[in-house]
Amino acid sequence: MNSPEKKIRVLVAKVGLDGHDKGAYIVASILRDAGMEVIYSGLRRTVSQVINSVIQEDVDVLGLSILSGAHETIAQKILAAMKENAIDDKLFIVGGVIPDEDISKLKKMGVDAVFTQSSNYNEMIDFIRSRVN
Amino acid sequence: MSEKDKLLKIAQAKKQWEEGVLAKGLARLGQSTSPCRFYTPADMEDHDFLEDTGFPGQYPFTAGRNALPIHVPFWGRGKAHGVGKSVRHAFGYSGYGTPEDLRDYYIERAKGPAPAGGPNIAFDLPSQTGYDSDHELAEGEVGKVGVAVDTLADFETIYEAFTGDRDIDKIGSNWTVNGTTNIILAMYCALADKRGIPREKLSGTPQNDILKEFAARGTQVFPVEPSMRMTRDTISFCANNLPKMNWTSVAGYHMREAGATRVQAVAFAFVDAIAYLEEGLAAGLALEQFYKQMSFLNFGGGMEFLKEAAVRRAARKVWAKIMRERFNAAKPSLWTYKELGGGVAGYWPMTKTRPLNNLVRVALGAAFAAMIGEPPVCEPPFDEPLGLGHSNEARQLAADAARIIAEECKLMDVQDALAGSYYVESLTSRYEKEIFDIIAKVDELGGAVAAIKSGWVKERIVESAIAFQRQLDSGEQIQVGVNKYIEPDEIEILIPRNSPYKAERLADAQQRKIAALAELKKTRNAAKVAAHLEKIENAAKNPNENLIPLFIEAVKDMVSMGEICQALRRVFGEV
Repeated sequence: MNSPEKKIRVLVAKVGLDGHDKGAYIVASILRDAGMEVIYSGLRRTVSQVINSVIQEDVDVLGLSILSGAHETIAQKILAAMKENAIDDKLFIVGGVIPDEDISKLKKMGVDAVFTQSSNYNEMIDFIRSRVN
Repeated sequence: MSEKDKLLKIAQAKKQWEEGVLAKGLARLGQSTSPCRFYTPADMEDHDFLEDTGFPGQYPFTAGRNALPIHVPFWGRGKAHGVGKSVRHAFGYSGYGTPEDLRDYYIERAKGPAPAGGPNIAFDLPSQTGYDSDHELAEGEVGKVGVAVDTLADFETIYEAFTGDRDIDKIGSNWTVNGTTNIILAMYCALADKRGIPREKLSGTPQNDILKEFAARGTQVFPVEPSMRMTRDTISFCANNLPKMNWTSVAGYHMREAGATRVQAVAFAFVDAIAYLEEGLAAGLALEQFYKQMSFLNFGGGMEFLKEAAVRRAARKVWAKIMRERFNAAKPSLWTYKELGGGVAGYWPMTKTRPLNNLVRVALGAAFAAMIGEPPVCEPPFDEPLGLGHSNEARQLAADAARIIAEECKLMDVQDALAGSYYVESLTSRYEKEIFDIIAKVDELGGAVAAIKSGWVKERIVESAIAFQRQLDSGEQIQVGVNKYIEPDEIEILIPRNSPYKAERLADAQQRKIAALAELKKTRNAAKVAAHLEKIENAAKNPNENLIPLFIEAVKDMVSMGEICQALRRVFGEV
């Protein structure tokens, strides 16, 4: 657990072939402004690359941005890999174009929170702070 | 009285009005300053009608690129949409699942109210980024945002829906592909060869605007320089073999969607277009041989419609000057660009909450499009932010909205109705200057290729995106139902939506596609495949060799798109 003084560390990641990264950049910038340390993975990462970064960078939060409709497949793979690497205590958030009916599916799967383009950023910041600290 | 004296008189009168009538009016309403502004001829002081606005279809084209907007005579044919020239126009951006799924969708669509027109194909991300369906990175993406195409067999399957009086020499095809354009073009040529159709009869438009992929959309396959070489190959191959094929659809749209301001979107689209034209010239072609087959998608849009209208008017004028002064094009027919137009509201302002509001947003934007001589296309359908694929209901509402604008409001009856508006004209002049300023800055950086390579363009876009988000967060920018009017007494309204795509097919598309690819690989001549790939890899090392003829021969022997791209990556490098 982090002491309140320690900065919350976040990895914002893009997995798969989706090239839309506006949301990733905006989220990274907003979380930085909220005092967190944010790393952005860049485009087209594989699940294992992202999991390695989570471990190496010792982040508290993994935020995945997906706008290609592949969210179920990718989230499933990430969750399995987190478990396998015993890092499933870390916060795992999905953001992007996610239809409402899929949000509950993702949460049931084990995703901690889902945010979409109409979400409020303060809500996201509060959620991360309440769960990490 | 001289013009100058007239303007002076107006300026003086305005001052009196502000101090008298306006001040009183404000005081009565308890306002210290006015929240609105009134424009007069004094705000467009240097405006010269003939020089700055002019007539539609005549330099500087501010009032319209064509004497008569080309959508006007074809409007309202409705169910007879297929007659005459418009049969060549691809429409209805569509694509999902396997080639069989998409073929069946097109066969179904042909039975509907608008049967004619070629396909406007959306490809899945693996097909756009040059990976076969069985690649690790493709997992979960196969058939999702578009159809999965690995080999010529897939293309042949899709086009089974286009035969007879809708064969590929009679229709136009649109393909939303960029990095893999030349392989898709090769497949289309191979298909024509197999059907006995002369290649020169093929018409269509691949998006093929690779520079904006680096800046905004992210499906680049190779690094910037080899990507430009691929574009040069497209230009010269099309100029010499496919005279009816548009070799690009330059898209400011994606950069705007990614966050660029309206001025940046136009300027960045133009610097990219300049770079492509320079490639064509460097390949030894004359402008006359390839310029007319360069098309533009559009510049994207936003909700401040008067400003959007002004920037599009400014774009027409700026481009005319670029062609005339920068490229020294002598013929007036080389001073305008081919563009789809419409879509003034853009896609990014669409909201997921209270989504029917999106219909209002796009319809209002489309009304402004009509008022500057662009088609009142009500895109996107209102359910765009709800997930992938538009419902039949949303498409119906969008089509009706456009019909209402054209036929009930009669907004297409006047050409560029906003011409002469003191506000719009002054803004048009301001945007013209701002667009030229960015173009000059990019020139200073060494041109579009250098500015893309260094990340400068991308940084500007991200910067603008973040700035706008901050304004949304602070409440300076409003999105109804998102950051304002969200109290519990507001009602979320949803209507039934039915997809034209079959969900059960989408569910197992990936398995079916991978199985089909595995099956096909067993029946190919492996030695021939290897020989083609070796030939392609060697040719890629010689920048003067056009690779498209080699792609055509390779795809005929069922070499896959992923295999070709892999061979090219060995020479060009990866991104």
